[in-house]
Amino acid sequence: MKSYKNIGLVLNALLFSSVANAQSAVVLYNERVTEVDQTLPDATELWVKPEDLTRINDFVLKPQGACLDELCIPVLQDRDSDMFVTRSNQGWFNVTGLADKLQQAYMTDYGDGVWSFGTMPLERQSFFNAGEAPDFELPDRDGNIVRLSDFRGKKVLLLTWASW
Amino acid sequence: MPVWQAIYDELKSDTFEIISVAQDTGGEAAAGAIFDNANVTYTSIIDVNHHISSLYNLLNVPSGVWIDEAGKIARINEGTYAKTYFDGAWGTDDYVPIVRDWVANGAESQYVWDSEKVQDNIFQRTPEAEMAQPAFRLGSYYFTNNNDEKAEQYWTLAQQLDPDSWNYLRQDLQYEDGGSAGPEWNERRERVEGAGGTYYAPLEIE
Repeated sequence: MKSYKNIGLVLNALLFSSVANAQSAVVLYNERVTEVDQTLPDATELWVKPEDLTRINDFVLKPQGACLDELCIPVLQDRDSDMFVTRSNQGWFNVTGLADKLQQAYMTDYGDGVWSFGTMPLERQSFFNAGEAPDFELPDRDGNIVRLSDFRGKKVLLLTWASW
Repeated sequence: MPVWQAIYDELKSDTFEIISVAQDTGGEAAAGAIFDNANVTYTSIIDVNHHISSLYNLLNVPSGVWIDEAGKIARINEGTYAKTYFDGAWGTDDYVPIVRDWVANGAESQYVWDSEKVQDNIFQRTPEAEMAQPAFRLGSYYFTNNNDEKAEQYWTLAQQLDPDSWNYLRQDLQYEDGGSAGPEWNERRERVEGAGGTYYAPLEIE
């Protein structure tokens, strides 16, 4: 029994050290740049605290799952799963796992811990299926946020160009 | 740009707006003066991450999208010059009249496409090409943080993932010796056109 206790101590020490070494990350999504102080170290997935999930992409972790407006992706939270784990009473959410479920493309610079997420396909379903213009949110040259949806009731001629 | 401002002065109303979006990683320093010199009064955005091209699957600039009062697309993915340039070598005088017709006649305009035609004209990306957006975004992040080596790495990756995008190619070439309309661009253009492709999606004015 004594040896088992020692193994427990060793495991606790490993767990503690992994949290102490928790890596920071930078997460890019649309125009947003979110700095995350602590992630759960993982070779290929991005695990963050639930409050950081919301800072990254507006999803909110609720009892019924990870939710954005009306949409909720079920997430078990009373035991470890591929989407959510609890370590030392801290819950961690798998942002790349959510992206996989949403079929959202992402690209990572692992060396620097920079994670770049593409548009969520759910934002563009009615674009491809019904020719509806996807909404966007971009700052104008004075820094005011421009949303396409602010122009409902008007015809909009959307023009792209470039200086190059 | 001055031409679009003149058209805006003519057509602007409570029910019509132009949103002009520069696809420029260089931000205000690259595109700001062009807006300023034309004394632009329509909605002006400098889109450093090419978000609009990515969101609407646009491959080149200039491109135009007509969006009606309910947020439905009425035309998309066309090379939309305001007039002809260089004695006819570039651009067209045919686009502005159809914009005028749409603003005057709305859904009754003969130039408005039905939903099916709009969907047929939305460019379809491969799953690999969908990866190009986060790759390009990553490159722009490094560019903004003065890490040119990594910016180049991810911008090159974006071009490999989405070889149909002229925007990703030319934005990157702007920072290289030949420039955005230099030999590399020309070679690529000749190759695409030689294979029966087009530099701009053809402007269909029926």
